Amino acid sequence: MTVQAHPAQQTQMPLEFRDSHETLGILGFWLFLASDVVLFACLFAVYAVFHGRVAAGPTPLQIFHLGPVLTETVLLLTSSFTCGIGIFMMRRGRTKALMAWLALTMLLGLAFVGMEITEFTTDVATFGTWHQSAFLSSFFTLVGTHGGHVSFGILWAAALLVRLWRQGITQATARRVYTFSLYWHFLDIIWIFLFTVVYLSGKIT
Amino acid sequence: MSTPHSPAAHGGEEIEIALLAPKFEEHAFPWRQIFGYAASLVLTLGALLLVERHVLAPTALLVVILALAAIQAGLQLGLFMHLRESAGATWHVVTLAIGIGVAIGIVIFSIWIMTFKSGVS
Repeated sequence: MTVQAHPAQQTQMPLEFRDSHETLGILGFWLFLASDVVLFACLFAVYAVFHGRVAAGPTPLQIFHLGPVLTETVLLLTSSFTCGIGIFMMRRGRTKALMAWLALTMLLGLAFVGMEITEFTTDVATFGTWHQSAFLSSFFTLVGTHGGHVSFGILWAAALLVRLWRQGITQATARRVYTFSLYWHFLDIIWIFLFTVVYLSGKIT
Repeated sequence: MSTPHSPAAHGGEEIEIALLAPKFEEHAFPWRQIFGYAASLVLTLGALLLVERHVLAPTALLVVILALAAIQAGLQLGLFMHLRESAGATWHVVTLAIGIGVAIGIVIFSIWIMTFKSGVS
C-alpha cells in the first residue's frame, strides 16, 4: 500500500519531507536506527549476563564514579536539547542559528567523548584492560560502542556544518540535518539506559 | 472504531490506519524541546537520588529506575525525535516497535538462559 499526503499538505510540510526521494532517506534512517536498537540490545544482554563475573579484576562498585558520569549524562542530554533547538531553527529557515546550535551540539559531544576517554584511560591505568575480566570486557564493549557512535556523530556534524555553510538550507541539506538529529537523539536515549543499567545499577548493592 | 471514509478528492490515497496518521507540531517557541529537556533532567536526577539514598530494596529500586529510564526514552522519542512526523503513514513507528520488541526479548531471554544453571544447581 502506498500512502501519499495530500498535495495541499505537502507544501505546508517541513522542507525535508517535501521530496519523496528525501523522505525515503528518512524512512531508511529509521530502519537503521531500529537495527541499531538490536545491536545495543545484544551488548546490553552480554553486560547483564557478565557484570558479576569480575574474576580478579575490579567490581562495578569499585570502578564507577557517579559524579563524572552525571556530568557526562548532563553534557549529552544538553547536546540532544541543543540539537532539537537546531531543528527548530531549521524549520524557521534560520541558517545561521541552525549552524550555531549544531556547532554547540558538536562541542558538547566532544566534551562528552573527552570525559569518556579520560574515564577509560584512568580505569585501564588503575584496574587493567578489558582482558582482566568478563565484566570489564562487556563494560568496555558496551560503553565503547556508544562512544564510537558519538564520535562518528561529531564528524558527521562537522561535515554538515561545511555543507550548510556552502549550500544553506535546501531540501537535501535539511534532510541530512534531520537524519543527523534522529541519530543524535537516539544516542542520548541509548545513554539513558547505559546510565541506568550500567552505572546506577552498579551502585545498587 | 471506524474512520470516516472521505473521498480521495485531493488526489492522494488516504491513510487507512488511523494510528499511523502522521502529525506535525510547530509552535512559535520551542516549548516541546524545553519541556523535554527539563523533564529529562528531573528524571535523571531523580533516579540518581533514589540510588544514592538507597530508598528501596535492591530489586524494587532496579525496577523503579528502569521505569524512569523508559519514561525518559519515551519523552525524548516524542518531543525531541518527532516520532509522528512522516510524509505518509508512520511505518517507521511499526519497525521501531518491532526493533524494541526484539531488543527486550534478547536481553530478557539471555539473562534467563544464562542464569538458568545457577538456579537449578
